[in-house]
Amino acid sequence: METYVIVRRSGWRTADELQEAARRSTAEGEHMSEDVRWIRSYVLAETDGSFGLVCIYQATSPEALRRHAYAAALPVDEIVAVADTLVIRADPQPVPA
Amino acid sequence: MRRMRVLSDSQTHVDGLVERELELATLDAAFAEASMGRARVVLVTAEAGGGKTALIDRFCADRARSTRVLRGACDALFTPRPLGPIHDFATDVGPELRQKLLGEAIPYQVAAVLIDDLRGHEPTVLVVEDIHWADEATLDVLRLVARRIASVRVLLVLSYRDETLDARHPVRVMLGELATGVAFTRMLLAPLSSEAVSRLAEPFDVEPVDLYRVTAGNPFFVTEVLASGSDAIPPTVRDAVLGRAGRLSGEGNALLGAVAIAPPQMELWLLEALAGECVAALEECLSSGMLVQPAAGAIAFRHELARLAIEESLEPRRRLTLHRMALAALADPPAGRPDAARLAHHADAAGDADAVLRFAPAAAESAAAVGAHREAAAQYARALRFGERLTRGERGDLLKRRAISCFLIDQYDDSLAAVTEAIEEYRRIGDRLREGDALRIRSDVGWCPGHIAASTRDAREAVSLLETVPASRELGLAYANLGSLHKDAEEGREAKAWAERAIEVGRKLGAHDVVLRATTDIGAAEVLAGAPEGPARLEDALAAAGAAGLVDQVGRVYYNLLGPASATRNYMITERHLAPGLQHCSDHGLELYRLYLLAHGARVALDTGRWDDAVDGAKAVLRVPRSSTTPRILTLVVLALVRARRGDSQVRALLDEAWALAEPTGELPRIGPVAVARAEAAWLDGRPDEVVEATDAALDLAVRRQSTWRVGELLSWRSRAGVRDEVAVEPRGPFTAQIAGNWLEAAKQWTQMGCPYEAALALADADGEEPLRESLEALQRLEARPAAAIVSRRLRTLGVRGVARGPRPSTRANAAALTAREFDVLRLLADGLRNAAIAERLFLSSRTVEHHVSAILGKLGVDSRSEAVAEAGRLGLLQDP
Repeated sequence: METYVIVRRSGWRTADELQEAARRSTAEGEHMSEDVRWIRSYVLAETDGSFGLVCIYQATSPEALRRHAYAAALPVDEIVAVADTLVIRADPQPVPA
Repeated sequence: MRRMRVLSDSQTHVDGLVERELELATLDAAFAEASMGRARVVLVTAEAGGGKTALIDRFCADRARSTRVLRGACDALFTPRPLGPIHDFATDVGPELRQKLLGEAIPYQVAAVLIDDLRGHEPTVLVVEDIHWADEATLDVLRLVARRIASVRVLLVLSYRDETLDARHPVRVMLGELATGVAFTRMLLAPLSSEAVSRLAEPFDVEPVDLYRVTAGNPFFVTEVLASGSDAIPPTVRDAVLGRAGRLSGEGNALLGAVAIAPPQMELWLLEALAGECVAALEECLSSGMLVQPAAGAIAFRHELARLAIEESLEPRRRLTLHRMALAALADPPAGRPDAARLAHHADAAGDADAVLRFAPAAAESAAAVGAHREAAAQYARALRFGERLTRGERGDLLKRRAISCFLIDQYDDSLAAVTEAIEEYRRIGDRLREGDALRIRSDVGWCPGHIAASTRDAREAVSLLETVPASRELGLAYANLGSLHKDAEEGREAKAWAERAIEVGRKLGAHDVVLRATTDIGAAEVLAGAPEGPARLEDALAAAGAAGLVDQVGRVYYNLLGPASATRNYMITERHLAPGLQHCSDHGLELYRLYLLAHGARVALDTGRWDDAVDGAKAVLRVPRSSTTPRILTLVVLALVRARRGDSQVRALLDEAWALAEPTGELPRIGPVAVARAEAAWLDGRPDEVVEATDAALDLAVRRQSTWRVGELLSWRSRAGVRDEVAVEPRGPFTAQIAGNWLEAAKQWTQMGCPYEAALALADADGEEPLRESLEALQRLEARPAAAIVSRRLRTLGVRGVARGPRPSTRANAAALTAREFDVLRLLADGLRNAAIAERLFLSSRTVEHHVSAILGKLGVDSRSEAVAEAGRLGLLQDP
């Protein structure tokens, strides 16, 4: 598997919608665990008040990520393969969305 | 039914199942789901001695009262019996299957009978064990069955040793294909834990910690150590088995030796012939648990590891004697015909050259007749190892047949080596007819992996050699082969000239297949050139080949029809012939042609805007590690273009591989598509200056070949990058309008053809706000982000404001928070399908569909199916994505 960054801009109007999407994402991810693994996500506070996501996934191909996104009804703006990871500090404490 | 092994071992009481509750529950759940109408496949994998059979024994024993269980196992022979496991359960299936197997049934016929039977006896548990040893024909049957049982109530359980399969192993390839068809579960049996080993060791005087350390929890090893009854723990499985055998009488040991030389099992009559008086010790061996009686009249070792250990421990002269006796006995069996494969096995082990030369080629021929070409190739190789006493001509014939078998399983190196030796043998005896024919075969073999120059040389030499002897079928084939080579290089004129000579020879000699072959090549060249008579000529050839029962030729016509049709976007042809072509190749095990058709289908899906289907098709081809390069090149291009158009990464590596495969062949059908794809990827990536470099060589070649379609394709990308070329070929298709700057006309033609992406790109060449907006919307619908970004920029340059990102299909679905599955169901609801029909279409149970339908009603806030469809229409959920 390789690591990918997926950008999903302005996908959700409310935090509830976002929670629901996360649930669908996890459920679909379990069906395709040999192809797709969700590592973590950063919730974006979009300027129009909606929410977006930057997600880190491991996957066998960009197509597997698209398939997962389609199955879980998640928007996709961009999928970029990660060449290397530089960890400077640990992630800050997550704040519940 | 074979291999219903003794479940409890009366002497040691250690054969009970330990730590397999989870696995049994998984099997039970899979069976429950299968019983509801959705076929399931469970793969049981473990190392040797890891407990696969014990688990399956228990599961089947639990099922057997209420459900039909069909069970077979593959042989641990160097050249397994073709369709061995199917023979195992044939008596349980019925007379039709038995009849098929008695004749030389080919896999698709066997699969068809089996599938019919499965439909008639629901639910069934079908078990095939040890598929890492499976012969090719069995794998074909499993592949065909798995492809067609999605809605049959059957649980298919396959077991294999994972560690013996590398990525190119045919079983891996088959499993990869299954993964896309039916729901399957892979189950890896872990070794026993130290606690379990301690529990098992409790009644015995063995140190549990040491036992666990030495055996690493391997269930078979643990059992053998405990059954050997020694105080010291034997260091290897072999020592444990020998220790256990050491407790038997001398007669018992002699009997074990006799059983060990004939895997997978031995008939009682044969055992009597080999063991004589010692047969009296059979009861002792059975009750010790070392031997079992898998079926009436047959004896086998409890485990292949035990058989191996005993066989290896046989004193060499005794082993030789046993094999000689087995050979004599099997040559004259009490019932039925002698089995050439078994005879060849014992002849080889007995070092009896005459017998090997008699039986191995016969075994090879019957294997080849059922499509088990891997086994055939191995039998020919076996015969050739004893080939010193053959004449050169006989050796040449065996080599030629081996070459053909290797070719059919895509082992090009072995095939080329064998046919080269054959050519040498024929040359030495001055047999020009057979030498010429072997040269023609080498030409055919060399083409697939892309050795074009050598292939052409052989083809020409074959012709000149065969022209020195009286006209023959071989000469016709040599002409046709040379014509094919020209056709594949898109040299239409030469292709036609050679094909016509082949037809002339074929007609004179009444060689129908030669005529058909050459006619097919002429038709393919015509379709590519856009000549109107091409499709009809090929459809006639298709009908003629079908009527004559020439199964391979039918596959070859499909290949020649669909390649040129998909390259020139002739969707009348692909619509009509792609699905039946795939079905035909799949039914008849024509795997190479099937790969070509899958590749062409992937391209058609890409060009008609069905990118997900294109990815599926491309991956199905790329998974198969063939050395034939054309399908791989074509699908690497498809996958690269999907990624490039979506703006996903990892495009370049795919195109570089495709180019590295295509470039050395110098053939336009391989080079052209890669060059065009590289041009598009460069343009989408904002590097239009690289378009010219990517297409120079291909354009030169396409002009030399007078390929009106490919010249147009290449020129359209060069003009998009701002280059004007003057070439001697008039392009055809929508490219003409596009290159002339008539974007509206080009877009219209692309739309009529059914190519939405190309239509949107044509509009992108416009300089007015209206067509650009239309282009942008179409590109957004296709999720073609880079092209959409280019059009957005153009709009902004024109001063247009408020260029929105636009709705994305996945967020459209999101508007009602429907899941993808619910969305699929909704679409079929809108088509007016009832639950049962929807269930069939989506391979779901009716109950699951009911759940989805009520979820859809809830989310849309409506009370009926018709309201749901109306509401979905209002929300725009039913537009094509």
